[in-house]
Amino acid sequence: MKKRIVITGLGVISSIGIGKERFWDNLLKGKSGISKVELFDTSKYQSHNGGEIKNFDGRKFISSRTLKFFGRASQLAVAATKLAIEDSGLEYRQLSKSKVSVCMGTTMGEIQSIESLNNSFVREEFDGRLDQSLVFQSSVNNIPVDVAMEFKFMGRNRIFTTACAAGNYAISYGADLLRMGEADYVVAGGSDSFSRIAFTGFDKVNAIAPEKCQPFDKNRKGMIPGEGAGTLILETLEGAKKRNAHIYAEVLGCGLSCDAFHMTQPLVDGIAECMGNALLVSGIKRKDVDYICAHGTGTVHNDKAECGAINKVFGQHKIPVNSCKSMLGHTMGAASAIEAIACCMAVEDDIIPPTINFETPDPECDIDCVPNKAREQKVNTALNNGFAFGGNHACLVLKKYDVN
Amino acid sequence: MYNKRFVITGVGVLSPIGIGNDNYWKALAEGRSGIRPITIFDTSKFKIKSGGEITEFNAKEVLGRIGLVDLDRATTLLSSAMKFAIEDAGLKINENNTHRTGISVGTTFGSLHSLSEFDKDCLMQGPKFVNPSRFPNTVINSPASRAAIRFGIKGFNTTISTGFCSGLDALDYAVHALEFDRADRVLVGAVEEICLQTFLGFYQLKYLSGLKKGLAPVSRPFDQERDGIVFSEGATVVLLETLPSALERGVKVYAEVVSVASNFDPGGFHKYNRKATGIINAMQGALDKSGLEKEEIDCIFANANSTQDGDAIETKAIKAVFKKYAKEIPIVAIKSMIGETFSASGGMNLVAALGSLEKKFIPQIINYKTKDADCDLNYILKSIEGKNLNYIMVNCFDPSGANTVLILKKFKGSKK
Repeated sequence: MKKRIVITGLGVISSIGIGKERFWDNLLKGKSGISKVELFDTSKYQSHNGGEIKNFDGRKFISSRTLKFFGRASQLAVAATKLAIEDSGLEYRQLSKSKVSVCMGTTMGEIQSIESLNNSFVREEFDGRLDQSLVFQSSVNNIPVDVAMEFKFMGRNRIFTTACAAGNYAISYGADLLRMGEADYVVAGGSDSFSRIAFTGFDKVNAIAPEKCQPFDKNRKGMIPGEGAGTLILETLEGAKKRNAHIYAEVLGCGLSCDAFHMTQPLVDGIAECMGNALLVSGIKRKDVDYICAHGTGTVHNDKAECGAINKVFGQHKIPVNSCKSMLGHTMGAASAIEAIACCMAVEDDIIPPTINFETPDPECDIDCVPNKAREQKVNTALNNGFAFGGNHACLVLKKYDVN
Repeated sequence: MYNKRFVITGVGVLSPIGIGNDNYWKALAEGRSGIRPITIFDTSKFKIKSGGEITEFNAKEVLGRIGLVDLDRATTLLSSAMKFAIEDAGLKINENNTHRTGISVGTTFGSLHSLSEFDKDCLMQGPKFVNPSRFPNTVINSPASRAAIRFGIKGFNTTISTGFCSGLDALDYAVHALEFDRADRVLVGAVEEICLQTFLGFYQLKYLSGLKKGLAPVSRPFDQERDGIVFSEGATVVLLETLPSALERGVKVYAEVVSVASNFDPGGFHKYNRKATGIINAMQGALDKSGLEKEEIDCIFANANSTQDGDAIETKAIKAVFKKYAKEIPIVAIKSMIGETFSASGGMNLVAALGSLEKKFIPQIINYKTKDADCDLNYILKSIEGKNLNYIMVNCFDPSGANTVLILKKFKGSKK
């Protein structure tokens, strides 16, 4: 009998709120986390807005002794994990250390540390010497390593760098580790800090919206880079029942695939196939899906491709679709993890968060995007889409846990 | 225990001691060193000027002229290794099998050069003057994605960036994926390129051999005088498939992956765990899962990267796990020849072990001169030829605290 995997703890650090409650409350209210970029000077750029988290203070979560070892992406990940563990009701002592695995996802890794190193790299007086603590921080595997160091988790320690689908990759693999009996608990999620390099690249290819992110709108002007972290506590249903844990949702399955076509232009057929696979491996039918948490970046091409794929798979079933990125911007490797948290809450509360900034319908995005206002509706099953550079797709299916 | 059996049916490698399986295995048997002056960047400002650069690599010769313009070195190295592995496996990718073929790649600094150069253009010339077609190279999964595009592979496309253990962790991922029927076969890769940025990092952290005494770097695992790693690069890809898939294709099988064990057990921030508990548990875990007696392991392909702590800890761990047999079991340290290829090192060791099973030899450790009282095992200093090997253990661990261990078995037909 295949083991059933459930989600029992949620932690999120986002530009619209720190902690599950504030995040969810603001997501339902349609609050925007977009503001003027402060990390670096944007005067030479076309665009100036980003989804930075302005009120995050690592010291509130991490002791000053260890904080200096952590880059920002690690700090966000550790903080999100701390909140998720508290939310799960697990006692640190209760966690048999060797059986807790950490699976995180990221796109850019400890990019702010690398960017700081690059700053000294281009100075004329650069003599080959770099700041040692920045060098220690800069390796991408520090994200799960720092989480494991902080909480003494000794199981498999993994960082998935499948770009912006990495969060779903991490959750999917974490569920497999539990099914395999390789772990009793998995800390799964994603983290990315605001990146000058990512901002520069998207700005250069005219992909950043000047003011607001308007997914699925006829006049949408692009995505907005952001940052954040989301962590989910995964365990077996058996284990969760034994400790009377609160269960947010069950992980049914995940479709993973690659277009093998283009680094930045996703294919309708590739996305459709990935969603179809997700339903297949989850053992559910199209009509069972109540809510799609879209990748929905707000770029002309991505939204069109995603809507085309949704209509191809779901046909006449007009399933409510929202884009959390309309509020958060694109949190890169954290996106699908944070959106999986939104799915858990939608399933928990039977409410679908809105797509904000929606003004004008686009015939090329012929979907029900839950415009501007959250919608109360029964949500038994949610499909969480994550797409990445390289034509990589990861679609995760989460279901309300039925106690009967 | 796994419910399925997993076999390796194709191998591709690019290393500082040889490109292609036969060249690589021959160089290992001969004990050739791949350490030479670095030409990829200017070393004149630095005390260290040598590394394991693959100087004979020419991407156009392997991949053809088309579609190379925007690819970085890590991507062409990985794509080349993948081409070799696909050809070696006799795999024809088509619409019927592409969706059931996955890619799992270990790399940590594969994009570091690309993203730093992109950032440098931005800082020095301004954001308007960056090259947009190089932007996709700034993500770490660019090598795996571009390989999928080149060879038309549509299954999952996973990149794992767990530092030194990345290569074996990518294999571990592939094993789980096959076990859960996520694919029928997985191209498992590992890649790392030599570039200034990664070099500067290792340089700054004083990980490099020769730095303290101002001498030329030498990789001398287990030698008393060992003084750090030799910076190097490489790429490997193996095709891992389920046994039924291999039998159906009727292809040659190199070896069976019997078990993989992995854990995290740090000694402190970026410090090897001197108690060695992590690597002990990983070796013991791999043995337990395999159901083998320790005496059945014919040989250990050690992590042995020529660091004082790393090699002493590994020796201690082998003694703890193998007890009396520890003094007998042959220990191999290929990094004496190829240096530390970091995320590719697990793949390099894996492909070396496949060669040993296939060509019946145990490669020698070179540069070994002075015995260390703490390192007193059966280090193979002269290659042994004509040796039938059945089971090989491959070790990987790193200063962050990550440990992954693999056991390979020579394939002798489909009946157990």
